[in-house]
Amino acid sequence: MTKKTEGDKVQISRREFLGTGAAAGAASIISTSAGAEPQNTSARQEAVASVSPPSDEQMAREVGAAIPPTDVQSAVKRPGSDLMVEVLREMAIEYVVSNPGSTFEGLQESIVNYGDKPNVMPEFITALHEESAVDMAHGYARCEGKPICALISGTIGLQHASMAIYQAFLGQSPVIVLIGREDFGARQQHTADDIAGMVRSYSKWDATPETLEETLNTLQEAYRQAMTPPMAPVVVVLDAEIQKQEAGDVQVPRFRPPVIEGVSDADAERIADRLVVAKNPRLNVGRLRTPEGIDRAVELAELVGASVQTRATFGPMSFPQTHALCGPGADENYDYVLGLERPGTHASIQNPSVRAFDDRDLMGIGFGNVRPPVRPQRDTSGEYDIVGDAEASLPQIIEAANKKINTRNRNAMSVRTVKHRKANRDARVAMLEKAVEEKRKGWNGSPISTARVFAELWPLIKDHDWCLASGTIFAGSHHAQLWEHNRPYSYLGMYPAAALGYVLGSSTGAGLAAKARDRIVINIQGDGDFNYAPGSVWTAAHHQLPVLNIMHNNRAYHMELMYLQHLAGVRGRGTERMHIGTTFRDPFIDYASIAKGYGMKSEGPINNPDDLYAALERGVNSVLKGEPYLIDVLTQPR
Amino acid sequence: MTMKKTTLFTAVIALVVTSVAIAQATGDAERGKQAYYDYACYGCHGYGGIGRHDIANQSSGVMVNEQVFLLYLRARGDQNPAFSTQTMPHYPASSLSDKDALDIYAYIMTLVDYPPQVEDIPALQGILDDAKSE
Repeated sequence: MTKKTEGDKVQISRREFLGTGAAAGAASIISTSAGAEPQNTSARQEAVASVSPPSDEQMAREVGAAIPPTDVQSAVKRPGSDLMVEVLREMAIEYVVSNPGSTFEGLQESIVNYGDKPNVMPEFITALHEESAVDMAHGYARCEGKPICALISGTIGLQHASMAIYQAFLGQSPVIVLIGREDFGARQQHTADDIAGMVRSYSKWDATPETLEETLNTLQEAYRQAMTPPMAPVVVVLDAEIQKQEAGDVQVPRFRPPVIEGVSDADAERIADRLVVAKNPRLNVGRLRTPEGIDRAVELAELVGASVQTRATFGPMSFPQTHALCGPGADENYDYVLGLERPGTHASIQNPSVRAFDDRDLMGIGFGNVRPPVRPQRDTSGEYDIVGDAEASLPQIIEAANKKINTRNRNAMSVRTVKHRKANRDARVAMLEKAVEEKRKGWNGSPISTARVFAELWPLIKDHDWCLASGTIFAGSHHAQLWEHNRPYSYLGMYPAAALGYVLGSSTGAGLAAKARDRIVINIQGDGDFNYAPGSVWTAAHHQLPVLNIMHNNRAYHMELMYLQHLAGVRGRGTERMHIGTTFRDPFIDYASIAKGYGMKSEGPINNPDDLYAALERGVNSVLKGEPYLIDVLTQPR
Repeated sequence: MTMKKTTLFTAVIALVVTSVAIAQATGDAERGKQAYYDYACYGCHGYGGIGRHDIANQSSGVMVNEQVFLLYLRARGDQNPAFSTQTMPHYPASSLSDKDALDIYAYIMTLVDYPPQVEDIPALQGILDDAKSE
């Protein structure tokens, strides 16, 4: 059953491996690592090369002729899946989101029944589509900087989920995808030799453990892999039999969280020295990993009196937008720029132009991206002076800087801070004075202007803990000027893969994070995106997630409409048929009724701008009580 | 002059200007409204002339008269194919007749947008006030 290949390396399929003595192979693997064995490693190949031929029983299973006796499960007193739940619980996995399948009833039963507090940490969340399940895990991860699990059934579930895994991969979000696998019986057509291979090119790591001990270790390793920068989704294939088997005296291994190291002490000293010596230092803060990282970035900026550039209006986990030090600062001629998950930059935006400062001292700490550059000709290999984790480096830099600060430079920093505070405040007011003049355009228009939606929503949410979960470029991104993004999850950013079908699920996932944290979620929901997998509305209603869905209902795939329109114009063939395939007409879609059908409170369509504020107020009041809500707003196209 | 008086004054002037402009349009604005929709002009210019590229209030230079408008439609080309939605499609006579174009022109000339001043919009004024008070 083994195959000789070039160089006489032995390769064997997983199915062959199972059939040729899984126990021996698995024992070898466990002895070589913590039990988490990724696919296609030399260790695996060596292990399977030494296994014995299959038994008659194993061969029968291999061809699907063996049916497990029905009374076996009643004899199991300590199912393996109970131990899996213990592992998830110890790793503080808050939710397992799943569209039920027949390859993981062992784990599902344990989640909802096992322990002193069944169905808590993790709680089983019902999704109506696998893509939604992974999108929910993705949305949660963008809020909290840590993973929950999406539980998927076999090859069929994974094919549904694959688009969302791709989004999470490009979004650098830690998501643990668990795939149930059953190699015999009715579900045999849902398995494959290498299930995870389907998504390997856009997941960070995967493993297919063969024993219970290995499964427990693999779950822990999956967490570490997902959380180690650059973060990304990981995949673990869970064998259905292992979930159901008697655990016997198998013990749950002690969980060791990932240890993420920062820059070397020498580099920390060097950076601290420049920050302290610089007369006008600048921090360029990108997307850090966790909320704790943001706290450290704030601490460093305040310590040395540096002005800060943030990405908080572009995505999660960046510097608070209206912090006194955030903004251009009192003087844009920065003499030292430290990038944190962003490169340092020579340029300063000095409206209306961009000015380059060639003599700036620049440095950047970051890991870059798991994906290749968007434009192949762009070489990002030299983007960071120090390829490492910025967040983990911050405590070292702060400690080193603290030692270098004396009375004299502390006074200079204090003076600088006061100047920055005033300059940044003035810059924000100046920006807003321009912005509100733009936003009032079309204020009384019908359909309703997108700016009015954001403007009228703000006073209703600003005093609450809120999260804007949806990408907003298509809706005008008016919040970037009008709202204040000061929390790690204030804005979760655009669709990472620029692909529709993501927002409703990910916003629902943000609702999972919000539910236990007295937070509300705002989702400015494009109508095109909504229709891919609207079942997340039911999930939010069923689990009572505090998500306010506000339809940006322009009744079209509007970007495509404009592209098509332009091409027809270029070809000189007219644009009067451009609605074909790009718009939702004849009939219009009634989103309020859809939501009602799924059990979510809703209203609309709202076309009169004078009716908008009251509707938004009803919606906010509903989610503040923990009840999701949908408002269908007929909007201008953009 | 108080703000209400300013707004009223602006509205009156706008009405006069608009009336003159409509008088200069020879097309049928009612037909133009349907053509504006059918040809998806709203895609970039909004249903009321406010959008990615504002054309209400005769704010676009190409609206100075019908001839310039027609010339502009016909002369448009694929000026920036890499970002195709940033440029307006061109409309040769084979795809948009002079009559339809002039009807659209007449309709666009009716589009006005005189939103309240910021101080009369509590949401926007509140945002500004909050920033100033920080």
